[in-house]
Amino acid sequence: MTRTSSRVRSSVAEIEIGRYLPLYNRLSDEQQYAYKLLLPGLLMMLLIHFIPIVWGVLISVLGVDSGYVSQWYEAPFVWLENYRFVLDPRTVVGERFWYSLRQTIIFSVGTLLLTYVLGLTAALLLNQRFKGRFAARTLLLLPWVAPSVVTLLIWRMMFQQQSGIINSLLLSLGVISEPIYWLIGDNTIWTLVLVHSWTQFPLVMIMLYAGLQSIPEQLYEAASIDGAGRWEQFRYITFPQLKPVSAVVVLLMMLWTMINFTSPYILLGAQPPQSGQVSILYIYNFAFSNYQFGRGAAMSVVLFAIAMAMAMLYYKYLFDQDFTEGDR
Amino acid sequence: MIPDEFRLTESGRETLFNLLSKGVLGCLLLYALFPIYWMILSSFRTRAEITAAEPSILPFTLDEAADVIRDPSVLLTLLEYENYLTMWDRFPVFDYFVNSLVIASVTTVFALAVGCLGGYAFSRYRFPGKIGVGGALLGTQMIPGILILLPMFLLFVWIQETLAIPLIDTYHGIIFVYTTFTVPVAIWMLRGFFDSIPNAIEEAARVDGCSRFQALVRVVLPMAAPGIAATGMFVFLTAFNEVLFASVLARGDVTPFAIGIQSFETQTTAYWGEMMAASTVATAPILILFILFQKPIVEGLTEGSVKQ
Repeated sequence: MTRTSSRVRSSVAEIEIGRYLPLYNRLSDEQQYAYKLLLPGLLMMLLIHFIPIVWGVLISVLGVDSGYVSQWYEAPFVWLENYRFVLDPRTVVGERFWYSLRQTIIFSVGTLLLTYVLGLTAALLLNQRFKGRFAARTLLLLPWVAPSVVTLLIWRMMFQQQSGIINSLLLSLGVISEPIYWLIGDNTIWTLVLVHSWTQFPLVMIMLYAGLQSIPEQLYEAASIDGAGRWEQFRYITFPQLKPVSAVVVLLMMLWTMINFTSPYILLGAQPPQSGQVSILYIYNFAFSNYQFGRGAAMSVVLFAIAMAMAMLYYKYLFDQDFTEGDR
Repeated sequence: MIPDEFRLTESGRETLFNLLSKGVLGCLLLYALFPIYWMILSSFRTRAEITAAEPSILPFTLDEAADVIRDPSVLLTLLEYENYLTMWDRFPVFDYFVNSLVIASVTTVFALAVGCLGGYAFSRYRFPGKIGVGGALLGTQMIPGILILLPMFLLFVWIQETLAIPLIDTYHGIIFVYTTFTVPVAIWMLRGFFDSIPNAIEEAARVDGCSRFQALVRVVLPMAAPGIAATGMFVFLTAFNEVLFASVLARGDVTPFAIGIQSFETQTTAYWGEMMAASTVATAPILILFILFQKPIVEGLTEGSVKQ
């Protein structure tokens, strides 16, 4: 790096971070440059991700309720009282929160299973050579590309008990004899799984499809010489070779479903039934209906801890696989 | 296993398998596309047609079918265009669209600017803490939004009251929040696109007298344009679809489409026809853009997760 080139550096490179962070001076010129490029992104993440999270944890041990919304810092310190309250199954709130966690698990495991089956089927079909394969792939991706607020409202309309097309179709096909309540009552969670899976299966499909494409052709050639049929090829080559991608799919789908707010919020409308209140929706309604931010924050931290425990698995997997390889 | 006499010949099995997979593919396509078809169809229907006990799943009834087959242009006269006209007066749809466009496009511009710098740093440089920063970027995608929303709401209220800077129900407040949420994904996606551009390109530019930053802006960014467009579309869609933060921080005059559209269903009446008309208007450009630019979008999304 010559001194002359530093004169024409643009303003991005002129920020003197070293003045504030002594450690920074010990980095090489290239490393400093990399950090300068990353600086805006890191600052924003610090402001909106990390500070609020720390703050959220702080609030979860304060008695912030409707009286302290604008003076949260004057709220009394209550130790772990908020956690005890929301996790105590004898209180109404605690009981409902546990129930919402259970519904969250049904939601994420159910979605994972359904999207995986649909996604794998679609990916396998697309992996064959046929006319119109590209068009089919494009069309199958549309549920995921169309804005989810819109598609969720379409499903909400289709699932109406009186006027919805789904009940009307099922009735005329003789599958059911009475119109079903899809959006209220105890089975709402399954409707949620169905609809959310529809919005997410294209993502699973495209990830598995990319995985399928990277399986070496020679494996299949060798297998067919050995007389392996379609099923054997799937069982002993395709499925095991997809394992790394599948692991990512499993963790991402479970995690993202667990923290998904849009699907239950839009699909279930203004008065969501208890059965459809997955944790994040329950916390939202609880916190904003009576401004119990301290307790709401405590529940959020619990949800976060569960999600993080799963994310750990995901990272462990990524690091073991190929994350460090990306270093260049 | 199946007894031998029931086994099909090789070519028979092949045909059966092909038929079967075509059938399954057909079912999947039907499943994937029916709701979108239903949205468009419902947007051209009157309230009475939508709430009918046995709605026709085709744009015409059985009685009208003969006419339509004889002359397909009859179909156009069977559609009702009412909803596309009444929705603007009945609901402030136009404002919702404008708000969403402003919020999502400004977010996209900011997120791309910040994301290009970060993604480039990730793609080209080795620096201490790279794995940590990378992990933190991915980690932001695992945080339940509600954990951030509650403290942020208190923070915004506090800033508004003590510093007199309005943040709730303003464009800049929600845009700042969205930009931050989309930057990690933008960095991650763009890093993949930059990876696919050979290093030699910048080295050549450097030899020709470009500074590092000039090499990035004048040489690398234009080459990464398809990837940047794909990332931009992803960011735009994320901002367009977001409801958790918008439902608390963007009400009143800045209500975006994602929140406003829900008001078409009131306690007593649901204006499905108008809702679907507005939805069709919102969805059509997005689907068309996707169909045109899908290749880099699909590549960019699978890049991070399926790298072998």
